[in-house]
Amino acid sequence: MSKRDFHPLVKQLLDGDITIADLPAELRSEGEEALRLLAAVDRRPLQLPEVTARVMATIGDPSRRKFWRRVIEPREIRIRVRPWLLAPALAAAAALVLWLGRSGSPAPSSDLSGLVTVRFVLSAPDAHDVGLAGTFNQWDASATPLVRTGAGLWTATITLPAGEHQYAFVVDGERWVPDPAAPAVDDGFGRRNSVLTL
Amino acid sequence: MLTSLALPLALLLTQQQSIADRLAGRVPPDIAALATELATDAAGRGLPIDPIIQKAIEGSAKRVPAERVGAAMRLVVTQLDAAAGGLRDGNAALSADTVAIAAGAFALTAGLSGRDIATLARSGSPPAEVIVGLRVAGTLVALGVPASETMTLVTGTLQAGRPAGELLALPGRVQAEVAKGVTPAQAAAGLARAAAAQARRGPPPGRGQPPPHPTPPPHP
Repeated sequence: MSKRDFHPLVKQLLDGDITIADLPAELRSEGEEALRLLAAVDRRPLQLPEVTARVMATIGDPSRRKFWRRVIEPREIRIRVRPWLLAPALAAAAALVLWLGRSGSPAPSSDLSGLVTVRFVLSAPDAHDVGLAGTFNQWDASATPLVRTGAGLWTATITLPAGEHQYAFVVDGERWVPDPAAPAVDDGFGRRNSVLTL
Repeated sequence: MLTSLALPLALLLTQQQSIADRLAGRVPPDIAALATELATDAAGRGLPIDPIIQKAIEGSAKRVPAERVGAAMRLVVTQLDAAAGGLRDGNAALSADTVAIAAGAFALTAGLSGRDIATLARSGSPPAEVIVGLRVAGTLVALGVPASETMTLVTGTLQAGRPAGELLALPGRVQAEVAKGVTPAQAAAGLARAAAAQARRGPPPGRGQPPPHPTPPPHP
């Protein structure tokens, strides 16, 4: 298929910007040929039902497409900040951060069955492992391991019956450490046991 | 005749077996034998045996020498006896309650006296709340609240007819005040004043009884 390049004025003729009478005499024959070629083009719509069906199946329901486009396409959002609403929002956010990040331990939360869920926390950045041993697990240092949560904090969350419990953290399997955030009593062996009363 | 002799013996053997089972694999044989002997003897006097067994297991877990574990177990028995005595002085019915005795022994370990135990026992509150009061009092002393302030706060709260949940919240409230910069004694005193004001207004409907001794005796 050869490619023919028409004179710019002939192109204007094909675009409908000028008429054949506006062309100079030497370009009239070229203009007439271009119009003949244009008239020969079959402009009837091409009907390909299978292709149409496949394309529509691929792009889906137009209404759904509109919804997803609204969801995923970037668009401009304008936010108007009212200063008098910003302060309580920041206070609420700060309270949430403090509540989530508090390291005091243990932190109990009761249910209605007399069982209480308690979170134990110990800061021990140099420890390799930390266990929780007490009257609730027969003083078994391996029964309740704590999990390192970052920044040297170790935590364990367990459910205990109401009552008075004594416990200690066991660092690296050999060092018995009372909970610095809890009251403590003499253990009878020259050390201290932490106390939790639920 | 034979049955009347055999039954207590069978019960004794069953109890000793139960104690031995709890200690098996957790403590050396010599400590297990002593714990079984002390616990069996304590049970015969109506004392709880769990604190004795726990102390044996704790000592072994902490790899404490056997003689120190033995001494610690004997101290526990002494405290259980003292707690039972204090409860008997305050409220005879409570002295038969092994849970109350164990709570009293904890309060003694923390630093309260037999007289304090008696004072709490005669507060006129239901037994379950006296038990909570004993545990909370021990916890407050363990937090550094002097015994006299502890007694004022706990007896005041009991006599105000406040629910057990409020008693249990006291250590946390004291800790919160201490975190603000006051001493444990000041924190407890402030809470005691609030409890006293509540007591003057009277207990909530359906709760509490008029205390036989409105003002607790001063702590020695």
